[in-house]
Amino acid sequence: MDSMPARNEGVIATLRAPATAAAPTSWERFEALYRSSRDDVFAYVATLLRDRAAAEDVTELAFERAYRRRRTFDRRRGEERAWLFGIARNAALDELRRRRRLTALTVEPENKASQATAGAEEEEVALRRTAVRSALAKLPAREREIVALKFHAGLSNAELARVLGVSESNAGTLLYRTMEKLRKACDETA
Amino acid sequence: MRRLDENQVDPEIVAALDAIDATVAGDPVEPRFAELAELALLLTGERPSPDPAFAPRLDERVSRRFERAGGADDHPAPARAHEGWGWLAAAGGLAAALVGVLVAVVVFSGPPSGSSSATSASASSATTASSSGAPRSAASSGAPARAATSRAFGTGLSTANGAKAAIPPTGGSGQPAAAANLQPAPNGRKITQSAQLSLSAAPNRVDDVAQEVFAVVGAQNGIVERSEVTQTGGTDGYAYFQLSVPSATLEQTLAKLSALSYSHVSSRTDTTQDVTSQYIDATQQLANARALRTSLLKQLANAVTTEQVDSLQAQIHDADASISSDQATLQTLGHQISFSALSVTINAVAIPPVVSHSGGFTIGKGAHDAGRVLMVAAGVALIVLAALVPVGLLVALAWWVGSALRRRRREQALDLA
Repeated sequence: MDSMPARNEGVIATLRAPATAAAPTSWERFEALYRSSRDDVFAYVATLLRDRAAAEDVTELAFERAYRRRRTFDRRRGEERAWLFGIARNAALDELRRRRRLTALTVEPENKASQATAGAEEEEVALRRTAVRSALAKLPAREREIVALKFHAGLSNAELARVLGVSESNAGTLLYRTMEKLRKACDETA
Repeated sequence: MRRLDENQVDPEIVAALDAIDATVAGDPVEPRFAELAELALLLTGERPSPDPAFAPRLDERVSRRFERAGGADDHPAPARAHEGWGWLAAAGGLAAALVGVLVAVVVFSGPPSGSSSATSASASSATTASSSGAPRSAASSGAPARAATSRAFGTGLSTANGAKAAIPPTGGSGQPAAAANLQPAPNGRKITQSAQLSLSAAPNRVDDVAQEVFAVVGAQNGIVERSEVTQTGGTDGYAYFQLSVPSATLEQTLAKLSALSYSHVSSRTDTTQDVTSQYIDATQQLANARALRTSLLKQLANAVTTEQVDSLQAQIHDADASISSDQATLQTLGHQISFSALSVTINAVAIPPVVSHSGGFTIGKGAHDAGRVLMVAAGVALIVLAALVPVGLLVALAWWVGSALRRRRREQALDLA
């Protein structure tokens, strides 16, 4: 390209411009959504189901459904993340229906590791972490889902409302009440 | 789940939610929300992480775009359990389409065969066989004397009084294909018959057809009691004949009149009436009158006084009058039985000009044909739409109910968990 005359640079830039400015395809949008949401979806589903193996299956299923329905996504009805978490929620609830049993939260290796390292942490923080974990485990599934969507999936209140099918103010109120409940449970435990 | 209005949200709640969002975003919060912020951080720290082997496996599936080359066993169990709804919707749509096609086929396959025969009858000719009284079988077994036979020509179907029966399609001149069997089988019953025949002919052929009618009646030893023939040379023309033909040849006469060269049958009405009872009554009255007259004559021969003679002569006169009346009645009945009244009308019918389809193409013809095609297509589309809309509404309703039920079961599953 060095041998090209300078007057051709503008033409080349013009020819290249549409390729770089082209709108992403549905596959590219899905891939970006997958990269940004994979761990969030898993975290949400795992908190809701309290079963890591089932959470992996449901996460995979949710992304597959999202991939097959990617062309039906309507941006006017919400953001892609809310749409994806709606699919994941339906898949998780279908799994709950199918199994009709509540699997106790398995003690994860990383939890053990965190417990092992808890000795290095301050005792008070460790106690509060244990209290929060205990309170979270005792929460009803519906409230645990709100915590999962907010703190594990990182959804905004608007997205949370969209996933739950309620208004944003209602979603905020539900989140606040859940937090108050958790706070009281933690205080009682402490 | 109770929905709250935006205005009902407590400002303290709004402030707490803002503090949570700030904590999650890593921003500082007011001291009064310190405990809430700490809880939010602890909850965030409880976020489950996927297994290290899970992410690469899912990445690979995504990179292969979830292809199912490995078969259904590679698919997670929940997927198989809930992927049937799409197929159900597709099956519903397919069923709706099939129903629509079936309805369209039924609608466009035309009326049943019975209707077609009725159409041909109205297009060509029709026969009305009217009668009064019981069927012939009843009459022959000693049923009431006022009995008759009702019969539809060509089809062999018996019809009720006044009902029209179809005649099979006729030949080029529009005559019935088979000769009508008007007269009942001779079984001693006294039957009177009459018929009305309406013919159609071209305006310039009315006179020719009238001449043919005269010829047929003469050949059958019939009598033209009254005739009226009008031919104007234009599009009008009319002829009327009041005929009396031997009952034995009525069937043959009608067949010949129906097969005239320049006319075709528009309608034909045959009437029969059983007058056996009237005939027997008249015969009996005549016999009684004659017996009375014989008795009176004998009494007259033995009469002595003038008064007796005068009285008997008066009675004999009355008996003679009765005998004459009964003889006249019998003669009239006999004539009605032997000769049938036949009325024939000839109406001029303008023959539509023959449309030649071999002419050249014109813009007008093309526009006309295009309009016809568009009208037919619009009609077909309307009918198909009328068939599909109710089916589509049912499918949509079923889909909506199914979705609501599924949503409710999911929420119930969450509550049960």
